[in-house]
Amino acid sequence: MLTDNLQSIQQLLDSPSDLLTRTFKVGSTHHLCGIVCIKGLVDKNLLNDQLLKNLLLNLPPDNRQMPKSPEDMVSLLLAEILTIASVEKVSTMDEVMLAVLDGNTALFVDGTDQVIIISSKGWESRAIEEPQSEALIRGPRDGFTEDIRTNIARIRRRLRDPNLRLYAMRIGQRGKRDVVVAYIEGVTNPDIVKEVKRRLETVDMDDVEGSGFIEEWIADSFLSPFPQSLSTERPDRVSPSLLQGKVAILVDGDPFCLVTPITLVTSFQSPEDYSSNWIVSSLTRTLRLIAAFIATFLPALYIALVEYHHGMIPSKLAFSIAGTREGVPFPAVIEALIMEATLEILREAGIRLPKPIGQTIGIVGGLVIGEAAVAAGIVSPIMVIIVSLTAITSFALPTYTFAMTLRVIRFGVMMAAAFFGLYGVILVYIMINIHIVNLKSFGIPYSTPFAPNFPRDWKDVILRAPITMLDQRPQMMQTDDENRQTNE
Amino acid sequence: MRSFEYGDGEIDSKEMMFAISSMVIGAGVLTLPRLVADATESSDGWVSILIAGALAILLAWVGAKLASRFPKMNFFTYTGLIATKPVAMILTWIVFGYFLVFSAYITRGISLIAKQYLFDETPVEVIALTFMLIIIYAVAGSRVSLLRLNLLFFPIVLAFIILLLSFSAGLIELDNLKPIFVTNWSGIMKGARETIFSLLGFEIAMFYIFYMNRPQKAPKAVVIGMLLPVVLYVFVYLIVISVFSVEATIQVMFPTIELAKEIELPGEFFERLESLFFVIWIMTIFNTGSMAFDICIMQVNSIFKNTKKTTCIWVLSPLIYVVAMIPQDMIEFAILGEYLSYAGLVVAGVMPCSLFITAMIRGVKGHG
Repeated sequence: MLTDNLQSIQQLLDSPSDLLTRTFKVGSTHHLCGIVCIKGLVDKNLLNDQLLKNLLLNLPPDNRQMPKSPEDMVSLLLAEILTIASVEKVSTMDEVMLAVLDGNTALFVDGTDQVIIISSKGWESRAIEEPQSEALIRGPRDGFTEDIRTNIARIRRRLRDPNLRLYAMRIGQRGKRDVVVAYIEGVTNPDIVKEVKRRLETVDMDDVEGSGFIEEWIADSFLSPFPQSLSTERPDRVSPSLLQGKVAILVDGDPFCLVTPITLVTSFQSPEDYSSNWIVSSLTRTLRLIAAFIATFLPALYIALVEYHHGMIPSKLAFSIAGTREGVPFPAVIEALIMEATLEILREAGIRLPKPIGQTIGIVGGLVIGEAAVAAGIVSPIMVIIVSLTAITSFALPTYTFAMTLRVIRFGVMMAAAFFGLYGVILVYIMINIHIVNLKSFGIPYSTPFAPNFPRDWKDVILRAPITMLDQRPQMMQTDDENRQTNE
Repeated sequence: MRSFEYGDGEIDSKEMMFAISSMVIGAGVLTLPRLVADATESSDGWVSILIAGALAILLAWVGAKLASRFPKMNFFTYTGLIATKPVAMILTWIVFGYFLVFSAYITRGISLIAKQYLFDETPVEVIALTFMLIIIYAVAGSRVSLLRLNLLFFPIVLAFIILLLSFSAGLIELDNLKPIFVTNWSGIMKGARETIFSLLGFEIAMFYIFYMNRPQKAPKAVVIGMLLPVVLYVFVYLIVISVFSVEATIQVMFPTIELAKEIELPGEFFERLESLFFVIWIMTIFNTGSMAFDICIMQVNSIFKNTKKTTCIWVLSPLIYVVAMIPQDMIEFAILGEYLSYAGLVVAGVMPCSLFITAMIRGVKGHG
């Protein structure tokens, strides 16, 4: 019975204020119908104009006889009446509940166990904006939003390949999030796709809060500080990755899309590399590599040189460093740690500060910490230069998560330098390398294409060869279709 | 190309080649000019290096040929096939002992040099311990990853050595090289003997070919991997002699590092380049030490098939550390090195040759 059904839904949800149930008689017939939906999640215009108007005013069609049985009524509604593109028929309560909570409308007809689910999703969502965390000079301005449908559309807009596969699944016992795995069939290695799906199915949690949650769950090694998937807000970063044979994972409610598998070099690449001249791009990538090196090792090198190997600094510079350090009461390690910690706190505070008082942090940070600390003789001016350099260089990297990794490593190297000087620095460097060759992202070693070695892929790693020469997909991805050009 | 070949724990000939080069150069390049200059007169040492190089390449080739004759068989198994199981057992233990001491020697060596060039106060024991810990971390990872590290480190070291040699071009005095061809044959041979000690390390091919996806390509890879150090040694030797002259070369412990000391970088960016050179060189010596340790573990695993790798590491690393700490001073350390070299001749020369000949005569062959 219709009323029973509606009542049991209301009971299940404990009659919340945003639940909308309504019963009505269709046209001039005896069929009793009811709709159920959640107010905030549905498109009201669609409900009023397409659904209720049709049901209440346009029945029966062309003065025909109204069907007697409720089943025929359902068929008639589906076939002739509902002017809504997406409708489907379900018959269990669970399906109805999930559909309603998802933003659909359930249409009950009295006397049958068949329920029509009308896709009526329509809620307030953020408009497409330029990605905050990955700004570009030259390139598209659109970014992902929190709505997975929009995000899928953004990828589709770029790839009209009929082989683009969007494998949808729901993750989370309670949250029941939409998660979509995107890949291109015939390009992406099926083993990778299979492995991604397998790992996603193992996610067992009441809700996945976002892409970061999934990223950590499906990562090969959770002990590693290195990002094992690329998280990006840019659709123009996702579609080329799909064409390279990678897999994208979209999570509803999160503007960040995961791209996997990745290697270390992925973190040095930006979509802009392909829109600027190849010479410029190659140099820019080299620059980023140097920046990463500075961001990780500069404070440590300073500590090592000042504390252990004064002899290695050219004598003039050594004198000027010694001169500026005169009166600083701390050894270089403490000095460096104080300044680096201050920098990290400033950075963390800068994120949280409300925009209008954001300038304060600039003044307090820049003037007080920099100028005043030097004037007070707590730190040396050289140290300020070094700390600013590490801060600036870490922002030169196109991947935020990777820059975070380097921040973590930086402190480790600093400690090693404090205890063992340059010897400690090189030991940590060796350790990082050991970690990287052992680390894998979905079976692909993190140090590819250097070790294991794929010289053909070097065309687009640190150097970026002219576009016409990038005629093959990366060998390391072991794609099904290696050629990017039609001839051959 | 269907499966994830590179994820499965196999190496190709490029990895083999780099492993050989980096193993060989790691141990010898620092002292070689002195050893050769000691034995020969004027600049004739290059003849010794070439003779020794040819011999080393031949031995390396024999070792590689031997191992690639038995694809997918480890050292213990194929020596068992060639020369009965008890012999195989003895040989495997010899190899084990050799590489254990080798690894200890490297660890001690690096601490001694680090103390000389980088530290004043830090005790040798602590330096050795930290180095040991890094090696343990490396061998605790997968074996293929360990070999892949060569691909990451060796090019850097090689580039640095080449840079070093090219920067010292300005310091070369050709007069130091004259006269030529004045050494008698016994001197040349003595020099060659010293060189072959510095060229040891290629014996790892006999053990790592097991992990190659195409073992038949191994001999070629090994030979190329050996050519590089030989050529490099000739250049290093000639440049060191021409910069320091023979008399001075004999006096310095590590002539190649001292060469870096002489160089002044344009722009005076760095002074005391030798410390930097040494720091970079740690990468390759690390490769050498960790591969030696790894082969040790491999031998234990081939005899006791059920032992876990971690158990091996727990047992062996204190042992290596203790052995590394046995020599009391530089002299005892040098003596240890000498014994090690003779053992190396057995492991790298006598053993593969006799096994190879026996295998040929008896016609023993691996399947596949």
